[in-house]
Amino acid sequence: MRLRSAKAVHYDSGPNMTPLVDVVMVILIFLMLAGSFGGAEHFLVSNLPLKQTGPGSTVTPKNFVPDTPLEIRVDPRGAGFEAVAGRIRVTDADALRNQLETMLRQFRDAGTEPAKVQVIISPNRSVRYENLIHVYEAALDAGFSKVAFAQSHG
Amino acid sequence: MRKHLMPEMKEGGVNVTPLIDIIMCLIIFYMLAAKIGVSTGAEKMELPSTLQGTKIEMANTLLLNVRSGPLNDPIVTALVDKEKQELKLIDRSGGKVTEPLLETLKALRAKTPEFKVIIRAEKDLSYRFLEPVLLVCAKADVKNVNFNTAQVQKERIE
Repeated sequence: MRLRSAKAVHYDSGPNMTPLVDVVMVILIFLMLAGSFGGAEHFLVSNLPLKQTGPGSTVTPKNFVPDTPLEIRVDPRGAGFEAVAGRIRVTDADALRNQLETMLRQFRDAGTEPAKVQVIISPNRSVRYENLIHVYEAALDAGFSKVAFAQSHG
Repeated sequence: MRKHLMPEMKEGGVNVTPLIDIIMCLIIFYMLAAKIGVSTGAEKMELPSTLQGTKIEMANTLLLNVRSGPLNDPIVTALVDKEKQELKLIDRSGGKVTEPLLETLKALRAKTPEFKVIIRAEKDLSYRFLEPVLLVCAKADVKNVNFNTAQVQKERIE
């Protein structure tokens, strides 16, 4: 009588994955604990104007022609703001952008390039930073490239 | 005739292949998306949101966290020499009057002419707290001042 072998034959179908899984789990846990996710953020770039007096004054070249200033006064109005630039007076960012676009066209018609116009935001001391950023963004949206903050009023 | 049958295969445990697939995906995601060991000194705060904005190189940059403080003085913190520090506008401790923020900015400006400052402030902050910081930047002759804002997706607005 033929006896069957007591030991069943075991066939492995591939390499042993256990050490790989161990290492990969350690890496995963490390990354989950050490990593941090920031929300999507970006930056509004400003260039302070060249001036000959006051804080930040610089020695300007002999034939230096200062940029044409465009002052936007910003005052608080409830949780929002009121922006005044020349004859325009608006209380929201979209209206301000539209008005600034019109002003930009007028500058172009008068022969002044937008790059030679320095937008100066002159805020009241109690205006919220968020509102100032909206005014700032409206000026950039309208096509002005030089935007800066001035000393407060009020 | 004797037939050659395929040997009987015995599964020793659970199938781990799907588990490895998922874990590898998670690792690749974390490696690409997570920021590890990169600290700019940015504090967690509610930033104003904007559509406009650009990405800037963080080299030669000092990020200033501006918060409202007692009276009209802002509290400014920054990562200077890999150490989080409060940079007071005017420090009267020790019987001496110093201007730590101005001195730090001047020192960094002297090192690199391309030096730039990033302002990071809560959206509810009043301009009276921000103004002194901007004035110090101007005094230190830092012309490149940038404002950190949260990015708004265009689709959300439309």
